[in-house]
Amino acid sequence: MKLRTRWSGLATALALSVLVAGCSESKSTNNAGGGASTGPVKMGAVLDITGAGASLGVTERKSIELAVKQLNEKGGVGGRQLQLITEDNQSTEDGAAKAINKLVSQDQVDIVLGASRTGPSLAMRPIAESSKMPMISLAASKAIIDGSQWVFKTAQNDAVVIAQMIDLAKQRGWKTIGLARDASGFGEGVAEGMTDQGKSGGISVIRIEKFAPDATDFTAQMVNLRSANADANVIWGIPPAAALAQRAYRQLGIASPVLQSHGIGNQAFLDTAGASADGLLAPLGRINVADQLPADNPQKKVLTDFIDNYRKAYGGEQPSAFAGYGYDAVNLAAEAIGKAGTNKQAVRDYLEGVKNHVGVSGVFTMSPQDHSGLTKDAVVMTTVANGKFTLMSKPG
Amino acid sequence: MTDFLQLVVAGLSQGAVYALVAIGFVAIFTVGGVINLAQGEFVALGGLVAIWAVGSGLPMLAAAAVAVVIVVGVAVGVERLVVRPVRSMTTLTSIILTLGVSTALKAAMLLIWGPDSKGLAPITGGQYTVAGVTVRGQELWILAIVAVASVAVYWFYDRTVTGKALRACAEQPVAARLVGISPGAASMLSFTLAGLLGAIAGVLASPLYFTSWDSGLVLGLKGFVAATLGGLVSVPGAIFGGLLLGVLENLLAGYGDSGLRDAVAFVVLIVVLIVRPGGVFGRHAEARV
Repeated sequence: MKLRTRWSGLATALALSVLVAGCSESKSTNNAGGGASTGPVKMGAVLDITGAGASLGVTERKSIELAVKQLNEKGGVGGRQLQLITEDNQSTEDGAAKAINKLVSQDQVDIVLGASRTGPSLAMRPIAESSKMPMISLAASKAIIDGSQWVFKTAQNDAVVIAQMIDLAKQRGWKTIGLARDASGFGEGVAEGMTDQGKSGGISVIRIEKFAPDATDFTAQMVNLRSANADANVIWGIPPAAALAQRAYRQLGIASPVLQSHGIGNQAFLDTAGASADGLLAPLGRINVADQLPADNPQKKVLTDFIDNYRKAYGGEQPSAFAGYGYDAVNLAAEAIGKAGTNKQAVRDYLEGVKNHVGVSGVFTMSPQDHSGLTKDAVVMTTVANGKFTLMSKPG
Repeated sequence: MTDFLQLVVAGLSQGAVYALVAIGFVAIFTVGGVINLAQGEFVALGGLVAIWAVGSGLPMLAAAAVAVVIVVGVAVGVERLVVRPVRSMTTLTSIILTLGVSTALKAAMLLIWGPDSKGLAPITGGQYTVAGVTVRGQELWILAIVAVASVAVYWFYDRTVTGKALRACAEQPVAARLVGISPGAASMLSFTLAGLLGAIAGVLASPLYFTSWDSGLVLGLKGFVAATLGGLVSVPGAIFGGLLLGVLENLLAGYGDSGLRDAVAFVVLIVVLIVRPGGVFGRHAEARV
């Protein structure tokens, strides 16, 4: 008994000393997080590494790690090394909110990247705004940045992709559109966007079907699209759901042309959809057709370098459009911190004024009204031929 | 009408997969009162092993055999290492234990095969259109193999001595032991059967519905609901429950809101538990769940 008391006394003393040490340490990082000019620059990333968004998040992690490594080899940002802290939100909204809370209050990062998809990004936005943390989302929906102070994004807006689709519809004389969309944040607002932008051309959305991002059977939705008999149908989702929907579309023998969103810009989509993808139309970022771009395209060099480096780093794996969103986010963040330091207000202000930043996903020019920085020139209309994305409209 | 039939056809093939999972639940529950929540993980594991085996160059049939061997091995391992050592097993204890097993299996699958969804190539590709209703080749395979498996399971329980011994354990455990049936052997056999059915379901479902490390959860829950339709003790009840659930889901997704698809199973579960807790086909009047 006596012995036990002595030991427990020792243990308490030990625990106390650890606690004290812990406190003093966290105090010192506290200062660093507030914009200190020494020590590593801390970059947090919240990604959909497991769950429905895995085919996005995994490649994004790879490209983010690659970009950080490249920057550190070149001497870091403003003479300081970059330290990356990655969190998996398991493709859930609450996971994303928890992750950014941890990055803000516990790790005290200087900037946050992510999330991979719209839903989780929207869940992070209010936390970034209230804690005045610069955040660069990798997701598509315009709602992520509309009216935001602290949130920016690298993926092309859904609005610019819809604009390309409506252009094509006008060109081909389609008047009615059927839509099967992701039921999560990525698909929100798509039908409204199409109705808005299509109004001038007399184009209307006549049927809206939804599917869960982790759905496995699409017969019901496709049967309804077939009955609606629109001039063209749009499937708006990410793989594997978008690919399974594409297969069901062909299986049911729907005759109208089918368009897909820029959510399909990876090899996983082509592998999963197989022959059913042939002939579909999709406005995609140039990374999916980089080898077909003319040499004088302003993005050609950035794209070629990125693809070569990524393939070298990851055993010949072809980077996806999503990898590009992650890569651009790191480089935008690095440029801002390199020029403005780690003062969060200065970083935010710098990001808002970014001009002609040539990235993988497009040429970024931000403004207080537009925290995406990409116009409809950032996507090009492609089609799938022989299991490969092929540039369709005028090159460039 | 064409649309209706199309939805029913798609529902039947999905329901057939639920049915296989449900039979696995029934096989294990009848012997020792154990509810095996890792049943869905057996399906995911079967699919992932087969995909991995095909990817490393094995022909389809050999890959399926490898999947069966590994899943049965894991199922037997679960029985030996997790279920057997517990002295006084209650249904509640078994739920907690197998929930742990399910989480561990998911984590292992995530570590080994990564987070991506993958699919097998169908046994025979192509599709057939009859009166506007399209049936995929794989759907016919699923229905045919599930029918054969169901008949085999039924025959096993009803016609073979071993099968009858399993049923004896379920109905009169003490008497079964008195006549020399080992409850340990019976329990292991029931897990073998559940592993076998899980592996078959995984290999069959993968070409159409894809497999990832976490796809077992939903399958397991729906299989469980299908099994409760038979009071967790009836094989024909489980099969019917699975098919019914698959068709109901698709009809609701087609005519109602597709977002409600996954709610069907749970509404059915609640209704069954309130109205007929012994199962729609159960022989027992009292609740066994």
